[in-house]
Amino acid sequence: MNNRSMAFWLFLTPVILALAIVVVIPFVYGFFYSFTDWNGLSATKFIGFEHYINLFQEKEFMNSIWFTIKFAVASVLLLNFFGLVLALIVTRNIKTNNLLRTVFFMPNLIGGLILGFIWQFIFVSVFGDIGDMLGAEGMQGWLSTTETGFWGLVILTSWQMAGYIMIIYIAYLENIPKELIEAAKIDGASSFQRFKNITFPLVAPAFTISMFLTLSTSFKIYDQNLSLTNGGPYNSTQMVAMEIVRTAFSDNQMSYAQAKAVIFFLIVAVVALTQVYYNKKREVEM
Amino acid sequence: MLMVYTYFLFKKRKGMAIMKMKAMVSSLVVSGAILAGCSFSSGESASEDKISIEIFQGKVEFNDQFNELAKEYEKENPDVDIKITSVGGGSDYAGSLKTKFSSGDEPEIFSVAGPTEAEQFGDYLTDMSDTELADLALEGTLEPVTDDGKVQGVPFNQEGYGLIYNKEVFEKAGIDPNSIVTYEDLEKAVKELDSKKEELGIDAVFAFPAKEAWVPGSHLANAFLAPEFDHKVLEAYNAESVGFDKGEEFKAMVDLQNEYSIQPTLSLDYSQQVEEYFSLGQVAMIQQGNWIYPSVKQMDEEFAAENMGILPIPVEGQEGKIPVGVPNYWAVNSNSDEEVIQASKDFLDWIYTSDTGKDYVLNEFNFIPAYEGYDSSNIADPLSKKIYEYASEGDTIGWIFLGYPTAWGDYLGANVQKYISGDMTWEELEEDSSNRWESLRK
Repeated sequence: MNNRSMAFWLFLTPVILALAIVVVIPFVYGFFYSFTDWNGLSATKFIGFEHYINLFQEKEFMNSIWFTIKFAVASVLLLNFFGLVLALIVTRNIKTNNLLRTVFFMPNLIGGLILGFIWQFIFVSVFGDIGDMLGAEGMQGWLSTTETGFWGLVILTSWQMAGYIMIIYIAYLENIPKELIEAAKIDGASSFQRFKNITFPLVAPAFTISMFLTLSTSFKIYDQNLSLTNGGPYNSTQMVAMEIVRTAFSDNQMSYAQAKAVIFFLIVAVVALTQVYYNKKREVEM
Repeated sequence: MLMVYTYFLFKKRKGMAIMKMKAMVSSLVVSGAILAGCSFSSGESASEDKISIEIFQGKVEFNDQFNELAKEYEKENPDVDIKITSVGGGSDYAGSLKTKFSSGDEPEIFSVAGPTEAEQFGDYLTDMSDTELADLALEGTLEPVTDDGKVQGVPFNQEGYGLIYNKEVFEKAGIDPNSIVTYEDLEKAVKELDSKKEELGIDAVFAFPAKEAWVPGSHLANAFLAPEFDHKVLEAYNAESVGFDKGEEFKAMVDLQNEYSIQPTLSLDYSQQVEEYFSLGQVAMIQQGNWIYPSVKQMDEEFAAENMGILPIPVEGQEGKIPVGVPNYWAVNSNSDEEVIQASKDFLDWIYTSDTGKDYVLNEFNFIPAYEGYDSSNIADPLSKKIYEYASEGDTIGWIFLGYPTAWGDYLGANVQKYISGDMTWEELEEDSSNRWESLRK
């Protein structure tokens, strides 16, 4: 073994070990447990695919998957829309540019749990009071129905993550060569045409990154869900991650929950990989 | 590699496999650390000759006071070292305890909540029948955790719940709380309070936190299901099915609380109910238990001391009785050395029988004692005192919800939420919930 590769592995070992211990080994173990009757303390027998067959027939789990998909679609669209709009605003030559960037990014620095409680107060009390004043029925009783719970979650997530996505868009927007824009201007392109034909294609790589980030985070959301609605009313706003935790720790069906987690992993992996694949392809074409 | 460990898994107790796994992992870590050039100090502690007792328990509310008491004990017994970990928030506790056990880092004393957990951890529970506490425990309190004559745990305390009312509001409205015995009495009083809302300065009669599945699912339902199971946790624990014999009364009570509550009930939670609405005097009554005392006290000390009374939930045939039960039991890990087990038992005995301990139990923990030998006039908070009186006179309804199938209470609670939002009729609720009970018991 020559020196260089020795050093290479030496530097890599701590990372590989850490990764193996906290990710790979538990993952393999978890996969294995999903085929047993493990209850958290001991496993006595293999039960094959029984859990996997059962979970597809469980209404609650299927509901939570469906709810998560709807949530992911809504929040990915809104997040990227708001992220891009915010980025466009702060890349104009406005005096308060830096202040605005900081302000927009700030929600992202607050933990999801706390945010959930803050927004719970806003949706329930503040919205309620405003509704009282304006006499608007629609402002009352937020989070007490499935629809308002859903939109509450979407609003919360967009508010929290939009600043982060904005940063990514800013990086790409600022990399667009000024000459191109100027040349287009001289050629008489309107601002919409400039955006559509120059800016948009040039920030396409940012879409790949942001879509990937927003998609996988919206699928895996847990803390916001827990503190904002806690699945209520009647577990109808319960996302997959939360459903799994509930199965494992309050229903006490550890291996069954593990099987759900494996399915969940597959879904997220497939969705995310497909999406990256298509976006990459489109970038090249564009 | 994996196959080898799998083999161990099924061959031996889970702990063994984990030990093997830990050995493997730690050897890897050590070699990794050496490779990375770090130094590694051994984790041996200096206190070899001391008996160290690790306590893992699920009642966070009294963590600080409990730690103080443990220090007192260490002062009296310098050879014992006590370490307390409290994990709370209801459902996480059992999960954390499992993690603790499967990682091989087993606590010496831990808490179990009722027969379900006692059965899960059955292999680790020491027989406590030789302790003083087992003799002193109030009648019936040991039953839920006794298996074949083996006492698997001793009670923390007792808790009870009912309709907690605001004395001042009742006085102003001219309603005598003692006159409320039956459901009809209660309904009349509620309607009267509701008609005088403005003069009384309240927003609504009740604050009914339907968002918390356990309020209707475990507590309220318990009052109406207990007679079916003869008030015995174990009876419920072994029951194949549930009949909702008093379903109509249960429905009436849900309707009453929901209709005259702050709206919308489906987004109303426990802390709003207790802190925002009740302790600030915005509602006349809430369905809760003696555990709200510290939170109310934090909001308004005078209110907590003077203004709270408790009424039983009216159930036909059970009038004047309050649901009282033991939420948690102390268990001693049977995997420890003989000497450590004895020291653990001694410590538990000391908590509830020594003068220092008794003082803490009543005045610092605000516990309703589940043992003989306590003077009820020493109980500081009015709710606990009242409940202890009900309990010592035997006017109690059993806490059978501790014997529900796992998570059935939450399931029933979610169904009540569906009923409130109009997505389910009451008949469907009863049918669906009892089907669930049966399928969980299979």
